[in-house]
Amino acid sequence: MTRFTLDKVRKTFINGEVKEEILKGINLSLREGELTALVGASGSGKSTLLTIAAGLQPASAGQVLFEGENLTTMNGEQVRKIRSSKFGFVFQFAHLVPFLTVEEQLLLMLEVSESKTKKTEQKKEIDKILTLVGMNHRKNAYPATLSGGEKQRVAIARAIIHKPKVLFADEPTASLDSTKSKDVMTLLRDLTKSLNLTTLMVTHDEEMLFYADRIIKLSDGMVLGS
Amino acid sequence: MNMAWKEMKKNKLRFLILGSIVFLVSLLTFIISGLANGLSQDNAALIKGLPEGHFYMSKDADQTINLSRIDRDVQGNMLKKHKEAVAFSIQMGFLNDEDEKQQSVAFVTSTESSVFEMVQKGEVVLDLSMKEKGIQVGDSLTNHQYSGKFIVKGFVDQKKFSHAPVAFIHSEDYQEMYRVKEMQLIFVPGKDSIGAVTGLDVFTKKQFLNTISSYKAEQTSLNMIVWFLVVISGMLFGIFFYMMNVQKMGLYGILKAIGVKTRTLFHMMWTQMIIITVMALMISISLSQVFNRLAPKDMPFSLTIETTAQLSSVYFIIGFIGATISGLQIKKVQPLQAIQQGEV
Repeated sequence: MTRFTLDKVRKTFINGEVKEEILKGINLSLREGELTALVGASGSGKSTLLTIAAGLQPASAGQVLFEGENLTTMNGEQVRKIRSSKFGFVFQFAHLVPFLTVEEQLLLMLEVSESKTKKTEQKKEIDKILTLVGMNHRKNAYPATLSGGEKQRVAIARAIIHKPKVLFADEPTASLDSTKSKDVMTLLRDLTKSLNLTTLMVTHDEEMLFYADRIIKLSDGMVLGS
Repeated sequence: MNMAWKEMKKNKLRFLILGSIVFLVSLLTFIISGLANGLSQDNAALIKGLPEGHFYMSKDADQTINLSRIDRDVQGNMLKKHKEAVAFSIQMGFLNDEDEKQQSVAFVTSTESSVFEMVQKGEVVLDLSMKEKGIQVGDSLTNHQYSGKFIVKGFVDQKKFSHAPVAFIHSEDYQEMYRVKEMQLIFVPGKDSIGAVTGLDVFTKKQFLNTISSYKAEQTSLNMIVWFLVVISGMLFGIFFYMMNVQKMGLYGILKAIGVKTRTLFHMMWTQMIIITVMALMISISLSQVFNRLAPKDMPFSLTIETTAQLSSVYFIIGFIGATISGLQIKKVQPLQAIQQGEV
């Protein structure tokens, strides 16, 4: 079932007198329980497309529809609310909050998403998710003491703790070695299935495409094929 | 979740440095303010201790107390019209104790009044500081311009003028010493002025204090230092929070990207500012109050709770403004930029 639709999305950057069209009318539908990989050469517009879909920057034209709601007509606060409660993010770098323990990173996300769950239930949920990503034994650790792979696992746990419907992953394995990259990808694929997530991932690593249900190739701001 | 406190706990040194600076600057401000108040008391406790009212001085004295002579008829009329009014004179001089040791004092005499000490001819009432110099009730003191002897009748607290202890003497003794019949000043208690009197200048209490030689210069300099320190503290707050915010731009961007409200980030910064200020002020207030009690008697130092509370409030306001101005950059942080940069 389609959860996310991009309809004729365009993005133009104006730099002085130079006008550069990064996205040239993208049409895309993302389904539940499906991991979609966006691939393309550098400058093809894949990261721009992901950030527009995630509501991190506006489109110049077109529509971004999430469960029938048009993100492009919403104000900043409305987009923030959807982003914090319905979307999850995994970035190239884990971007964990340096002064919070692993458990607190997840608690913060629940707080941001305005979760109504009681504290005791939240702790149980955190234990469950951390077990799922294999990090429950490090729940009291600070980011500085974690390895790159562990950080990325915590970042994934943070991205799904509030039960989002869409997971955006921007080069989630770029900073990891090949073994850890495979672990992280396996985890992302399994979570997409078990939690019925709609996952949109940007990657330049062709090895990671093995884990995707669908591959969309971008070139020069246009979809070449899927 | 109290992110502000968690960050402070994790980055103790950074916040300790900021707290220490606020503590040191506020302590310095309190101490200088205490000295300013102390000097002010030392210079003009006699006048500051009077109720609200208006002072009259002869116009031709050109705002110089020593040169003022109020015509006896004018004085008589004013005292007759205003029962609570009092005419008084102040002159600097010396008293010699029984060992011929000279003590600098400010001789004060007045007409019948409840606001000044009343003494009989040949008697003197002294400021309490004279007791600490070994003078006791019953001692006889002399003055080269006075034929008789002054018998010490008692002591009164906080009666100083121009950094000298006040010696209240009878008007006839005063006239003999200074060979003047006229009083220098008239004080009329009450908030409302009785209006202009021909040949006399009228001053409020605050204006009159500024006619005391050295008072204005002393207070202006010290108050300028105090306010300068307050402004410096505000700037320090601003600069420190600015530097911390610059370092945390990436973090703020990521927090915004995951949905943290800008308002929450401002609350985080304000909470840190309040915690630092409260802790720093608590320590500096305690230390300055300890100093207030332990300061050497010779050191004019007076730090009231009211002054401390006023300065503390100013610190909070200045700290808040400094932190908020520096925090305006939080509003400008774009989550996208932070994501595209490296690890926070």
